[in-house]
Amino acid sequence: MKMSASHKTLFVISGVFLLILSCLGLVRGEVQTSLSDVQEAFFHYSDSDLRHIVIQEFRLPRVAMAIIAGASLSAAGMLMQTLFQNPLAGPYVLGINSGSSLLVALGTLSGISFFSTEVGVIGSALLGAFIFGVFILLSSVYLRNQISLLLFGIMLGSFVSAIITILQVTAHAQSLKAFTLWSMGSLQAVELRQIPLILVVFVIAIVLSFLIVKPLNILVLGEEAVKLMGYRVKRLRWMIVLITALFTGLVTAYCGPIAFVGLAIPNLSRILLKTQRHGVLLFANLLFGALFLVACDALIQLFSNSMLIPINGLTSLIGAPFVIFILIKKLK
Amino acid sequence: MIALKNLTIGFDHELFSVHDFNFEIGRVYSILGRNGIGKSTLLRAIAGLNSPLKGSVLIENNDIVNMSGKAVAQKIAFVNSNPLGVSHLPVDEFLLLGRSNFTSIWGAYSKDDLDILAHTKMLFQIEHLGMKYTNQLSTGELQLCAIAKAFIQGSDMILLDEPTSALDYSNKRKIYDLLLRQASEYKKGIILTTHDIELAFKYAFKFLLINSRSKTLEKISSFSEAEKEFLI
Repeated sequence: MKMSASHKTLFVISGVFLLILSCLGLVRGEVQTSLSDVQEAFFHYSDSDLRHIVIQEFRLPRVAMAIIAGASLSAAGMLMQTLFQNPLAGPYVLGINSGSSLLVALGTLSGISFFSTEVGVIGSALLGAFIFGVFILLSSVYLRNQISLLLFGIMLGSFVSAIITILQVTAHAQSLKAFTLWSMGSLQAVELRQIPLILVVFVIAIVLSFLIVKPLNILVLGEEAVKLMGYRVKRLRWMIVLITALFTGLVTAYCGPIAFVGLAIPNLSRILLKTQRHGVLLFANLLFGALFLVACDALIQLFSNSMLIPINGLTSLIGAPFVIFILIKKLK
Repeated sequence: MIALKNLTIGFDHELFSVHDFNFEIGRVYSILGRNGIGKSTLLRAIAGLNSPLKGSVLIENNDIVNMSGKAVAQKIAFVNSNPLGVSHLPVDEFLLLGRSNFTSIWGAYSKDDLDILAHTKMLFQIEHLGMKYTNQLSTGELQLCAIAKAFIQGSDMILLDEPTSALDYSNKRKIYDLLLRQASEYKKGIILTTHDIELAFKYAFKFLLINSRSKTLEKISSFSEAEKEFLI
């Protein structure tokens, strides 16, 4: 993958910022620690040292999840925007994570204990994301207009939250508690022991995405162009939906809904890099997405003494105006 | 070389049929016919985009239905009637998409690809457009770039669906000159559909007419034969 000099500079600067903010996330907090404490907590962990426990058990999973969630949602957004040839597409606005929420709600609120286990919740979230991805894909045939696809996704989201509300009213106290805890979601909900499994799914999704970079480049010109270059359009579509489901389901399972990252970052990446080469774009989305969410997390930690802002609230606060900006630019 | 054997063209009902016809390299074929008679449908059937109702399309004696998509793409390039510009897609990047069959799995270009790009841009006189974005081009410029991309693909045959429909007179001539030159100098076989009959007859094209009465594809050699079809 060849990159131009200006792309390289941009990536190096972003990488450095990501590193600094990640370190900051590990060091800063109510318990005072220093960089050397972090180093010690990694290499000479002692379970009697409060600072080590705070760093390994609380801060590391949170920062790692911020990186993974930001990267995943942005990559998923890029894939969906190319699939639908629509800069307004994204996993949140098209209701992909509503699919995860719905299946997790159905599972946990059903009272069947398997669905409340870790594997049950992740499985439900991934399956729900995939089912809704397929549903959106099939519906998109009738939604040629870019903005009607967006409206469709938002309606889907409203419909699902209505169902979930009704489910909650009728649920038992015990299962309601399990679901409510999940749905509040935050970057802090992940435990250190869960990170390896998350990483495996994350890496699989990234590898799969890089494998379809070339047909994605052509897909920008339309599905007919893909067919004319000898690729199987249907297989490509299924592949995109599968990867999107992996990325989105993974994040939704562990963090709950995080809005607008998957819509804003892919647009920002294209604006900054001025290219449609998906190898470079994918890399940019992973990096910028991670940087964005780690920065959001740092901002939340900064105010954590006075108030605890939910991550979804902050990303919406920044993301929604950005979407309006793109809309205005498009409608002009 | 492309051969059409006992072809019946249409979607749900039959539009017209082609008994037996060969398209050779080194020539420009112009398909004429009334609106809606099936010119585009024929072109799309030859490109393998939709299948004919009956009969077969042979590319160097291989039936297109038995060929892989990649193999067809090596033999045939197709240019749509109105190519669309895409934001954030520079012209160079757009043209190099034509090299997709030659680039690495990540789509990385080799020195060869870049040499071919430079040569093609010179040939099409579009060097000045390289850094522009495809959504900033005029219709004529975009059409030129789309044809250049088909040329870059390196296939023997180039199919163009109404390449001149949206262009002014000078751009039309520019495109026809270029196509004729590609056929004779670069040994490409070119098949195009057009409504610019008067202008097309000024060029040494091979003319094929879809006759609305006999519902067949027939060779014609003079303007007056074409007029008969369009003036009744």
